[in-house]
Parts: sequence; structure tokens; C-alpha cells
Amino acid sequence: MEDTFSKTLKALSDPSRRKIFHALIIVASSLPINQIVSQFDISRQGVTKHLKVLESAGLIEISTNGRERYCKANAKPLEELNNWLSFYEKFWDDSLDNLSSYLDNKEKNT
Amino acid sequence: MNDTISKEIILKKEIESVWNAITKQEELSTWFIKADFKAEEGYNYKFTSLNGDCDDVIRGVVKKATPYTLVYTWIIEGFENVETLVEWNLESISEGTRLTVKHSGISKYQGENAAKMFENFSGGWDNCVLELSKYL
Repeated sequence: MEDTFSKTLKALSDPSRRKIFHALIIVASSLPINQIVSQFDISRQGVTKHLKVLESAGLIEISTNGRERYCKANAKPLEELNNWLSFYEKFWDDSLDNLSSYLDNKEKNT
Repeated sequence: MNDTISKEIILKKEIESVWNAITKQEELSTWFIKADFKAEEGYNYKFTSLNGDCDDVIRGVVKKATPYTLVYTWIIEGFENVETLVEWNLESISEGTRLTVKHSGISKYQGENAAKMFENFSGGWDNCVLELSKYL
């Protein structure tokens, strides 16, 4: 099972998806899928595929109203992305602390 | 952009004992991460961190293992297309051993990029309305 973080990273690893998401973020409201398709140089099928990936990562919400399907961006998962660097910062700090106490203990026990 | 994390500590230990701690499988598994590791060039290692319910697996290849420099690639399972690099360096000094560890290539995850890119739009929507015309 993939965690949300990995899904967000994967979803945004594609330039077309970033563009679509970017556009939706800027609009800050729901857009009909047809309108999104008309903005990009990608087939309707392609756009739909990208939208599905974005949806599964929680980056957009898709809703149906009558015959039209609408997309809306959700920037929430991005907050976690900010933590990628700080994750490793902490990881290495903690690891070096561990190493330091490990070596201290080892010395005491020998 | 900040792409490398660099850490340095001074350990009041002999360089050899620090070297063993970062290269020997049994020692790594004690303080660092559960390791299948050999400090031999070309060795395909496997680290397993027990993180709550799920195991994070990290794999990579040892690129250099000559005292006192150890370099290996760092690839998280599930992100096989993203290769980062971890480099350990030890230096004997009068107080003991200076250890530096560098983890580079982190921006390849695109996390920071993406976050920075969209950060501007999370504050207020006023500026975004101007941008809107470019898209619609």
C-alpha cells in the first residue's frame, strides 16, 4: 500500500500533471473537465488519465453536476512535501546522535 | 536550491572504531538501520527501517569504500527512478575523529520544487486572479 506522500510525489513528477494542477490551483474554483481539456495540448483521454492520478493523490476533487464533471484543486497534500528536506535533516541528526551514543556505550562495555 | 544535507560531528574516538561503526553490518544494524551491507565497491546493499507498521526499504550500490571514505547510492523502494547519494568521510584530528555525512540529490524527489512552486499561491488569491487570464 502506497502512502499519501509517495502518491503526491508521483503525481507531481509529471510536467503535464503539474501544469494541470497549477492551472486548477490558480483558478481556485471548480472547472469543467471540457474546459481543462481545451487548455492543453493533450487528448481528452490523456487529460482524464492525468486527472485520475491527481485525484488518487488527493490533489484534486472530481464531482459531477448534471452531465458535466468538475475538478477542483486541493493543495493540502503539498504541505507534506515541504517536509521532505526536513525529514532527512532530522533523520541524519538523529542517526549521528545514535552513532555517538552507540560508540560511547561500546567503549564502556569493552 | 538546497539539494544537499551536510552534517558534521566530532567524535572522541579512534578513526578505526568509527569506520567500523559505519561499515560493519552488525554495527550498522545496532545504531543505524537494519542492514545487509558490505563495504565493498559494487555491493548491492539493503537497509530496512522499521517504521511503525510499515517497513521502509532502502537499496543502493556501494560506490566507494576505501578508508576513510564511504559512498553509496540511496534509493527508496517505490521511488526507483530517484537516486540520491550518501557520502561519509572520516578524518583523524587531535580530538578524535571528524565525521561528515552528505546526502545529495534530494531535489530529485521534486518535493521541494513542487512545494515552492505552489507556496506562492497558498497565501492569498488576489495575485492569482491576474494569473488566471493566462490560463483561461
